[in-house]
Amino acid sequence: MGQVLEFVNIYKAFPGVQALQDVSFRADGGKVTALMGENGAGKSTLLKILSGDLRPDRGHVSFNGEVKHFMSPHQSLNSGISVIYQERQLINSMNVMENIFLEDMPGNKLGIINRSELKRRTQEIIDAFGLPIRPTDIVGNLSVAHQQMVEIMKAYRRDSAVIAFDEPTAPLTDKEITILFKLIRQLREQGRIILYVSHRIAEIFQITDEIVVLKDGRLVRTFNTPETTERELVRAMVGRDIGDTYANLKRNDKIGEALLEVKNLVTDYVHDVSFTLRRGEILGFAGLIGAGRTEVARAIFGVDPVHSGEIKLEGETVRFKSPRDAIARGIMLCPEDRKEQGLILQRSIRDNVTMPVLSQLRKGIFLDRKSETALAKEAVRKYSIRTPSVEMQVMQLSGGNQQKTILGRWTSEKIETKILILDEPTKGIDVGTKAEVYQMVCDFAKQGIGVIFISSELTEVLNVSDNIIVMHNGHITGRVSRAEATEENVLEMAMRI
Amino acid sequence: MRAVFSQFIKSKTFTLIVLLVVVVVFFQVTSPGSSFLSPANIKNILDSMVIYILFAIGSGMLIISGYIDLSPGFIGVFAGIMVGSLLGNGIPWYISAVLTIAAGALFGLFNAFLVDVLRIQAFIATLATGSFIAKGIAMIITDGKVLNITDPTIVWIGTGKLPGGIPVAIVISLVLIIVFGIILAKTKFGRTIYLCGGNVTAAKFAGLNPRKLTYILFAINGALGALAGVIYSGRMLIANFTSTSNYTFPAITAAILGGISFGGGSGGMLGCFLGLLIINSFNNGLTLLGVTPYWQSVFSGVLLLLALTFDYISIRNRMRIKPAKVHYDPRMWYKRNRNREDGEIG
Ligand SMILES: Nc1ncnc2c1ncn2[C@@H]1O[C@H](COP(=O)(O)OP(=O)(O)OP(=O)(O)O)[C@@H](O)[C@H]1O
Ligand SMILES: [Mg+2]
Repeated sequence: MGQVLEFVNIYKAFPGVQALQDVSFRADGGKVTALMGENGAGKSTLLKILSGDLRPDRGHVSFNGEVKHFMSPHQSLNSGISVIYQERQLINSMNVMENIFLEDMPGNKLGIINRSELKRRTQEIIDAFGLPIRPTDIVGNLSVAHQQMVEIMKAYRRDSAVIAFDEPTAPLTDKEITILFKLIRQLREQGRIILYVSHRIAEIFQITDEIVVLKDGRLVRTFNTPETTERELVRAMVGRDIGDTYANLKRNDKIGEALLEVKNLVTDYVHDVSFTLRRGEILGFAGLIGAGRTEVARAIFGVDPVHSGEIKLEGETVRFKSPRDAIARGIMLCPEDRKEQGLILQRSIRDNVTMPVLSQLRKGIFLDRKSETALAKEAVRKYSIRTPSVEMQVMQLSGGNQQKTILGRWTSEKIETKILILDEPTKGIDVGTKAEVYQMVCDFAKQGIGVIFISSELTEVLNVSDNIIVMHNGHITGRVSRAEATEENVLEMAMRI
Repeated sequence: MRAVFSQFIKSKTFTLIVLLVVVVVFFQVTSPGSSFLSPANIKNILDSMVIYILFAIGSGMLIISGYIDLSPGFIGVFAGIMVGSLLGNGIPWYISAVLTIAAGALFGLFNAFLVDVLRIQAFIATLATGSFIAKGIAMIITDGKVLNITDPTIVWIGTGKLPGGIPVAIVISLVLIIVFGIILAKTKFGRTIYLCGGNVTAAKFAGLNPRKLTYILFAINGALGALAGVIYSGRMLIANFTSTSNYTFPAITAAILGGISFGGGSGGMLGCFLGLLIINSFNNGLTLLGVTPYWQSVFSGVLLLLALTFDYISIRNRMRIKPAKVHYDPRMWYKRNRNREDGEIG
């Protein structure tokens, strides 16, 4: 008899939101069960209940027939349940091995840690994953993708019977995803119970066996993955057909003169990068982790120092010393790491949205609360952010809704943009809203704004951008137009040695 | 309306008001002859808050922005001596006071330089500036001698009363905390303090200027410290080397009790004021009950621990995802500094 995990009549409310309502389903060993639903549907909340981080208002979890009321993450872990959260839980100042073995470091009776043993065992795990990191690397210095892999290794190390992944692939590129999927298949063979949350539909069909769909906190449907279609699944989630996202895009067809010219740019991370962004153009940047796409954006935006090369904005040579200077000239960057570089988690949606345009929201010397609220409400409406009010702390939003908040900030009507740099803008965003984000990007292009669109989701960069630049290891390794680009040729350029 | 009310009940301000009411009722009932709420005693309480308020304004804003400043008490010591010796040399009171307050602001800028450019932890940097440099210079100025303050205006500022019997010093400090409270809550500058304190990297990415803010806030705190020193010397008619030096910690305690958290990014001046009111009412009540200063000190310590526990629990509740010791983890400070370094690039 295989292992069984059951959720039984689970209810959970937060102030102003019924996050879960009478959710019941079972997940079997040897299968990958997907949890799907729009942003704020309650997926992460369900997993936090499983991990003992939250307690349900009603209902319970039962594992192999035994009713469990987890009072803490510790109890859940001890019962053999590992949950990998959507938000990374690593300690940035510690190294890889210390993070992986955080709760039980190998040591002697006196509690003195056996470092060589620690290192050896960590190296074994890293080898099993086949990743280019060392046990002694400081986690804070790793790329977001590698941090995510460390998080996964941490769960893998515990050898749990149940492993739940909350949007594990959001920060990953194809290379790490391949590794992850190999691992998940292996865990499935071993008869473990696997829960899997993702907004990337293609993945769901690749890796999962069953699908549970949540909407507004209720379970609306379950599917057997092989027996359903993308269209049916999306309809269950969104409640309507969204059609072919890319074919339906109303694109800009008037690409104008050069807006931004980058020539032979060299920084600590990128080498000899040259490209031109035109008015109304959507320029995609594809590549694997560490390819240097984010670093190009940072250099333009005045975050990383430029060693040599030239950046011309509308024909005029510029070199920004800080984001402040770049913003003053109409260059906006929506950063990749929403928690570290984007949001002020303890402040409200309103404060987060209005942050870069406060000067325009004043009446005399005072901030005008009404226009602030109006601007924030506009963002909530435009991206359908699920929240009871704009006063809500961003920390209390679901991951996807947090991402929508930061998009709302950088695309508000008060911002005077010439160049919009979007670094992984759709990370964690649900299918329905993704289509709206793409259309919004096209609308910006129509207004003559130049858009730099960085994304690890290959399909998305290839279909939204007018032209695509491929990077590898800090160098540009290819340029193609949308018409010429295929996943194969772009991947080949991205992996070039 | 009901939603607003239920939010208010859950807010920190409400908790503070309840705490204040508890303290007031307790001492009103137990104090001999119910003297706690007599007009004279209320004035005593407010009077005892004057110096603390000045320190709490600047320190509160700095803590919201993610720093801490231990120097204002010592800058106050320096200021007393400086104003005393300027006055002693026949310089008019207004020039003496302005120069002294400007000197206080300079100390603040020096603090900011230490944490911004030399990257010294604010805790250590401001302690060094205050307890060694500011106080040291004060001792050098007078060669270790205490000065008498006789200038009538400075004495009036410290001890005088406006028509109606309201002490000048109380009015000054109340006006300042109200003005700064409004600045904090209603202006772009105030909002910037919260945003930078909440996440300095994100603030920088959004085009704010956290470095400039650091200099401004430390300068304000230095200036307020100096102002406190001037007022203090005017009240005591003397400028010595302890004067305001012991006022910093209680002011910070009150700010924390009032809801400004070491995590940065939250709290406000109303909470700060209520925090001070609670602590000072508490000490005043203990005095009325005849509790010795030694025991008062122990009880204040207990109140401080309660304040910190409060703060910790509220942070933990807000940080549902990470129930671990988020903000009291020293690594958090490390991380904050890392972010500041990130911000520094370019
Ligand atoms: N700590 C909290 N306080 C208040 N509300 C919360 C809290 N945590 C979650 N919520 C609310 O509960 C709802 C469900 O959130 P949850 O994080 O489970 O969504 P999700 O399905 O994981 O979404 P996403 O796809 O965006 O990650 C959301 O409306 C969210 O705002
Ligand atoms: Mg989630």
